Amino acid sequence: MRRVVIAAAFAAVVGLAAATAAVGARQAGPTKLTVWVGWSAGKELVTFKKVAAEYDKAHADVTLDVVGGITDQKITAAIRAGNPPDVVSSFNSYDVGIYCGTGAWLDLKPYMAKSHISTSIFPKATMYYTQYNGTRCALPLLADTYGLYYNTALFKKAHITHPPRTISELTADAKKLTQRNPDGSLKVVGLDPFIGFYENVPERWAQAYGAKYIDSKGHAILANQPAWQKMMKWQKSLIDWYGYKNLVKFQAGLGDEFSASNGFETGKLAMNMDGEWRVAFIANEAPKLQYGTAPLPVDDAQPDLYGSGYINGTIIGLPKGGHNVDKAWQLVDYLTTNTHALAELTNGLKNVPSTSASAKSKEIVPNAHFETFIKIFNNARSSTSPIMASGQSYTNLVQTFWQNYQAKGSKSLGADLKKLDSQLDAQVKQAGGGNGGGGVP
Amino acid sequence: MRRKRFLVAVANHSFLIAAAIAFLAPFLFIMLTSLMTNEQALSSRFWPHPFAWHNFVDVFHEAPLGRWTFNTLEYSVLGTLGLLLSSVPVAYALARLRFRGRNLMFMIVLVALMLPPQVSVVPLYVMWAKLHLVGTLWPVILPNWFGDAFSIFLLRQFFLTIPEEYLDAARVDGLGELRVLSTVVVRLAKPAIAAVALFSFLYTFNDFFLPLLYTGENPHNWPLQIGLSQFRSLHQVQWNLTMAATLLVMAPVIVIFFLAQKAFVEGVTLTGVKG
Amino acid sequence: MLLLLAPWLVGFSVFFGYPIVMAVYLSLNHYDLLSPPRWVGLANYRYLFTIDPQVGTAVKNTLWLVAILVPAQVLFALGIALMLARARRGVGIFRTIFYLPALAPPVAATLGFVYILNPATGPVNALLGHLGISGPLWFQDPAWAKPSLVVLGLWGVGNTMVIFLAAVLDVPRHLYESAEIDGAGPWQRLRWVTLPSISPVILFAVVLGVIQALQYFTQAYVAANIASGQASQAADVTAASLGYPQDSTLFYPVLLYQHGFSDYQMGYASALSVVLLIVSFAVTLVIVVNSRRWVHHAGAIR
Repeated sequence: MRRVVIAAAFAAVVGLAAATAAVGARQAGPTKLTVWVGWSAGKELVTFKKVAAEYDKAHADVTLDVVGGITDQKITAAIRAGNPPDVVSSFNSYDVGIYCGTGAWLDLKPYMAKSHISTSIFPKATMYYTQYNGTRCALPLLADTYGLYYNTALFKKAHITHPPRTISELTADAKKLTQRNPDGSLKVVGLDPFIGFYENVPERWAQAYGAKYIDSKGHAILANQPAWQKMMKWQKSLIDWYGYKNLVKFQAGLGDEFSASNGFETGKLAMNMDGEWRVAFIANEAPKLQYGTAPLPVDDAQPDLYGSGYINGTIIGLPKGGHNVDKAWQLVDYLTTNTHALAELTNGLKNVPSTSASAKSKEIVPNAHFETFIKIFNNARSSTSPIMASGQSYTNLVQTFWQNYQAKGSKSLGADLKKLDSQLDAQVKQAGGGNGGGGVP
Repeated sequence: MRRKRFLVAVANHSFLIAAAIAFLAPFLFIMLTSLMTNEQALSSRFWPHPFAWHNFVDVFHEAPLGRWTFNTLEYSVLGTLGLLLSSVPVAYALARLRFRGRNLMFMIVLVALMLPPQVSVVPLYVMWAKLHLVGTLWPVILPNWFGDAFSIFLLRQFFLTIPEEYLDAARVDGLGELRVLSTVVVRLAKPAIAAVALFSFLYTFNDFFLPLLYTGENPHNWPLQIGLSQFRSLHQVQWNLTMAATLLVMAPVIVIFFLAQKAFVEGVTLTGVKG
Repeated sequence: MLLLLAPWLVGFSVFFGYPIVMAVYLSLNHYDLLSPPRWVGLANYRYLFTIDPQVGTAVKNTLWLVAILVPAQVLFALGIALMLARARRGVGIFRTIFYLPALAPPVAATLGFVYILNPATGPVNALLGHLGISGPLWFQDPAWAKPSLVVLGLWGVGNTMVIFLAAVLDVPRHLYESAEIDGAGPWQRLRWVTLPSISPVILFAVVLGVIQALQYFTQAYVAANIASGQASQAADVTAASLGYPQDSTLFYPVLLYQHGFSDYQMGYASALSVVLLIVSFAVTLVIVVNSRRWVHHAGAIR
């Protein structure tokens, strides 16, 4: 009996040792890096996954798990809950003030120094919106800029020979291109500037009027600039021309922005303010569409603004609490500086390349429509929105204000804007930030 | 006089029929839309042509309904089990046992019932975050294992109606209090327990706010309701598929209702009338 | 004995007592879950009561629900219950039909209604169009968004209706008979016999309704999300859709969610929750105390 027991114990020990060795061997295998990105629509996620797969193959010590459809909310939730991925990426810079200010995304300066990455290889605008208060917690991963898409077939029918360059030309063209149904509802809309519709948010139109948000101390100055009131009054007058209710009803019946039934792609919108990525979507979903691209028309009083546009872009960084920081940094380094990777992403996503080297890469497939946006991006007067400690809430507050104005109007827009300014400042203070941390863009 | 009664009855019935049609209409619209193609769903057509039955299959390709269902079942089953195991003893204690402060305890239960979950949600979230359980369903499952005010209330009401004689007979036979509970009382209270289980299942199946809070950032753990609300963002509103998914999510509850109708109605009346 | 109560006692302290105490503590701090809480005293409350541009709207919207949604649901449920009580035939079928929508998960029901009430492509406006009426913009119009939620709420009164029906059918026959002998017509019988007899149930429904109105979140969140057309491409910043359109569906719990779990200002969100706690308690107290005035208990009916 005892011999059996000893034999069994021996077998158990051997077995356990073998199992532990096996587990140990498995653990010495490739590190899994989880990468969170925002892309999900159309072929965008597929493109990114292809680039990730190339990195995966070239680096045996890591395997990448790419998750798409990520929002800023998901990122902040994961970081605060203590279970973040290894690499995070967001479509825009609105929350950089929070990310950098609270340390939610790690300061990248030491890592960049170790890898000898200098900020000079990136366009200046992208360097502004990836830092806050001296902390650089993100790097740009391709950039976005906005312009005017116009349907050339509808232009021809309405005898319009060239895209509008000023707001008054834009308004005239929009009215000419609009078609109504016999019952008065809208059939085709020339241009829909409704704030909240598709890509229409205040900061993109503000760029066309040269309207600034903050002064050098970071205080909100919307009330002091005539540009804001001029812009809002113009936009409201155009909306009232369509009929507010008509426009809302029209919008409710349009296909979703990132579906194949997009209003511009299906010819229901003659002109549309959109980002440079739309070129790729149209090529994939509506290849027969006859269209052209041009910079967004600008304020009649400031014609030298023409050719510029609003800039923002995807950012990428390392979340606080990630486990494999060094390997994650290597991936971020690759994605943001490797010319080949950036060129591939540019081709697939039709986003603007975010390093000067990749912008000149011969791998990029030339595309006339896309060229327009490269030019807009490089225009000296293109700008972005300020980085604030309150993050997205800042621009959201302005947007809600404008949406109320476009619906109800106002007895004294100047006074209302003054109130908005003080609310914005209070909101920044409440968020725990001093003013001006982001600097003026 | 009789004719007047007849006309009144007819009017009454007409109202009821009109109301019934109005109540059924939304189901009909949802069903019809779920059988349309995307373009038809975007137009104002009533009737699909042709009937796109394959939508119900496509839905499974577009979204991980299987995964979502599994998560919902995990929540519902584990939650309901815990709820029963913890609420029955508590309700029994409140109904039967004589001790001081019994009524005060009952009042506290009622007050807890009235409290909006939003009041306690921030500190609890912080707690679960520190335990690294945010992103999973455990923060919504585990509280059920500590008793639920509503179920306790319902069960207590029912236990109060059990005649003392049954229990005394069991006690005389030498059964300890715990055995009395688990054998005699539970058997007598089967309808109430069934109703509580049903309500709990229904509640967890429909629950949205807390699962949103805790699993919102982790699509892998989304239950059906969260997944359905995000369905649109996964596939850029195809209304026809969204309505198909909506119908599929409504279906299990309605099926269970028809199978367990008696328990349902009994449970509902238990809450209101004897209150 | 205490053993039986143990799970609930533990649960009560952990999930009820502790959060309330903690919420008060957090409300006096600035806390974002990333750095330790920073004491700010009453600053959060000052912001809440004097500066936050959305609090006033949120409170007004929630009060709107209490004042309009709750009575609408109670009256509607009562009306149907009374009609069903009179009906001779098919009561079972009618009851099932009216109860069915109450079973629909709130998310699914809201999604369905946003589609059905779509001003351009939904069947309701199409039907109204055939009748020559230009339908309102429903969930797209800030003046109609809350009424649209009321329509959604009325669809789901099945639960309340069934309880009312049982209560109405429970009223003792002899009370009606003696009233008839006294010469009371149908309306008078309703006013002096039926309603007083079922008044405890009505109170119950009102209290429940008010409690639900103070917690109203799911339908508002889902409706705003879907109706605003957002949530397509991830993080496309066409603004927070919460409260769409124009904060008309921004209820107090939704605001709390936004500040706590969108902006991660947990200290401020705690302040909001403390205020909600006080208000809920006060409101339920008021209703229950005043209930003696119009709830008749069985013995009091003569």
